Amino acid sequence: MTTTLAGGRAARRQTMRRIRPRRSPATLLLLAVWAGAVGVLWLWWHNTPSIADQNGKILNAGRITGLLAGYLMALVVLQMARVPALERRVGSDRVARWHAMSGRYTLCLVFAHVFLIMWGYALQAGKTLSDIVQQTIDSVNQLPDMGKAAIGTGLFLLIGLSSIGAVRRRIPYDTWYHVHLLTYGAVFLTFWHQITTGNDFALTPLAKTVWYGLYGTVTALVVWYRILTPIRLNLRHRMYVEAVIEETPGIVSVLIGGRKLHRMGAEAGQFFRWRFLAPGMRFSSHPYSLSAAPRPNMLRITVKAIGDHSTRLRELRPGMKVWAEGPYGAMTSQRRTRGKVLLVAGGVGITPMRALFETLPGAAGDITLLYRANTTQDLALWDELAKIADERGARLMYAVNSPDGERPDISADSLRRKLPDIDNHDVFMCGPPGFAQSVYEALRGAGVPARRIHHESFEM
Amino acid sequence: MHPLKKNRPLRRIVLASAVTASGLVMLLALKPHTTPEVAAAPQVVSSPAPSGSASGKAVAGTKTVTGETVQTRWGPVQVKITVTNGKITDVTAVQSPSDNPRDQEINSYALPQLKSEALAAQSAKIDTVSGATYTSDGYRQSLQSALDSAGL
Repeated sequence: MTTTLAGGRAARRQTMRRIRPRRSPATLLLLAVWAGAVGVLWLWWHNTPSIADQNGKILNAGRITGLLAGYLMALVVLQMARVPALERRVGSDRVARWHAMSGRYTLCLVFAHVFLIMWGYALQAGKTLSDIVQQTIDSVNQLPDMGKAAIGTGLFLLIGLSSIGAVRRRIPYDTWYHVHLLTYGAVFLTFWHQITTGNDFALTPLAKTVWYGLYGTVTALVVWYRILTPIRLNLRHRMYVEAVIEETPGIVSVLIGGRKLHRMGAEAGQFFRWRFLAPGMRFSSHPYSLSAAPRPNMLRITVKAIGDHSTRLRELRPGMKVWAEGPYGAMTSQRRTRGKVLLVAGGVGITPMRALFETLPGAAGDITLLYRANTTQDLALWDELAKIADERGARLMYAVNSPDGERPDISADSLRRKLPDIDNHDVFMCGPPGFAQSVYEALRGAGVPARRIHHESFEM
Repeated sequence: MHPLKKNRPLRRIVLASAVTASGLVMLLALKPHTTPEVAAAPQVVSSPAPSGSASGKAVAGTKTVTGETVQTRWGPVQVKITVTNGKITDVTAVQSPSDNPRDQEINSYALPQLKSEALAAQSAKIDTVSGATYTSDGYRQSLQSALDSAGL
């Protein structure tokens, strides 16, 4: 097995084209989002000639927060539609972080909107803030589509609560995930009242068209990329477990077979979201990186048994079907800006690094891999790495704890000593968050500019 | 922002809240605080019907004046009055909330009542029609602005 895996010359025979880094479209996207927000605010501005009094201020504040919440909610859903342009060019991890931040903000806007509007209505009817509950009940009963909106808002409350850090840590991942999926329902239910009860939509028919367009597009993208594309992918490639190999105690490799796997366009450094159709694993989907260059009839993932799911992987049997979605991830050779590359792997972060180590174009001496693990026993895939290093003339270094448990020195100084020209390297990093943070600081201290440090982390 | 730069969630929350709150306050403060006089109206809303500018047609002692569009919770209300020899002879609702069956139902009984009250009172001091608070309010304000620009 090792010979077929550690070679990969064919994979490396891609033309060493002129290294031209592709810029992430993040800035452009943010600009577009802000432009949209300005447009939404203009809608309110245009429809409001004046504000009569304090009461009017509260009501209009409710309208503004409502408009912004409606706009942003569409974008929050869009971020999780698994649009390739976002997943592969901005990066799945970055988009997931944006989604978390914008989701929290949007929910706050939703609740502010509900409070302000109901207060505003109460004031208009000559009542006071203390009547707000009765006012809410009345409005939900009388206004069009408000019953749906009330249920939707209740769902948002549930989703918001379940995503608070303290709560989320205490519930199983799958429970949290399924509660979170209710977002689609909540968005659907709250959409209608915007169009039928929203003051600004009544006054400006064009706004209705734009809103239908916005939400319609997001729906289409979700259906296309989250439902139809994976179905097509799996019908075409029909993946299954080919073998399960224990690399070291606690670290397991799964070889995935299928048809024409190279046609999925996966690159070293990327990951798929895997669903193993085996008892107990059917209902959860987990992201694991490819730990070797993709081959026409085989993919490999290497996983450390930490949680529920990863421990169960050992129980997979050859022949079991696999449902995969991807490829995702932006930590590929396309992010490279320089001829020299340093790969830094912490613990199970070695997986994407192992794939990159095999395929990153480079002459002898250009590529260096630094592998940090607790003990030498934990240096999974070491034999393969040594073989690749040998064949390519790449440098392979490791850093483990000393026998009495002392951590190795990975600081700006020690990095500069090992790689005097480190500031002229591109650095790709993968590992646990604490490790990544300290290595990042060491690299910055050693003179590597932030834009040349490429990193993927799924911590939220 | 590089994902590994020290991530300070509290600072982010405070910043986002402050920017949102001050943005809201600023937007609200920038709007004029009274229903604009008809003279100032031209910069206002472009609604399907002629917007709040006073359009007067003088036809031998008769003129029609359209009042300001007043936003109510249920939608815009705008009335047009016909003045003959200084007396209001007709009041028509040019715009009224009619988005849904409930609005239309309310309009069907409220508007005729408001009209007859306006003709009887010859001013905007008319009573609210019960069950049509917002429409009555809007009707009153729009009627008053029409009267103002008609010089009554």
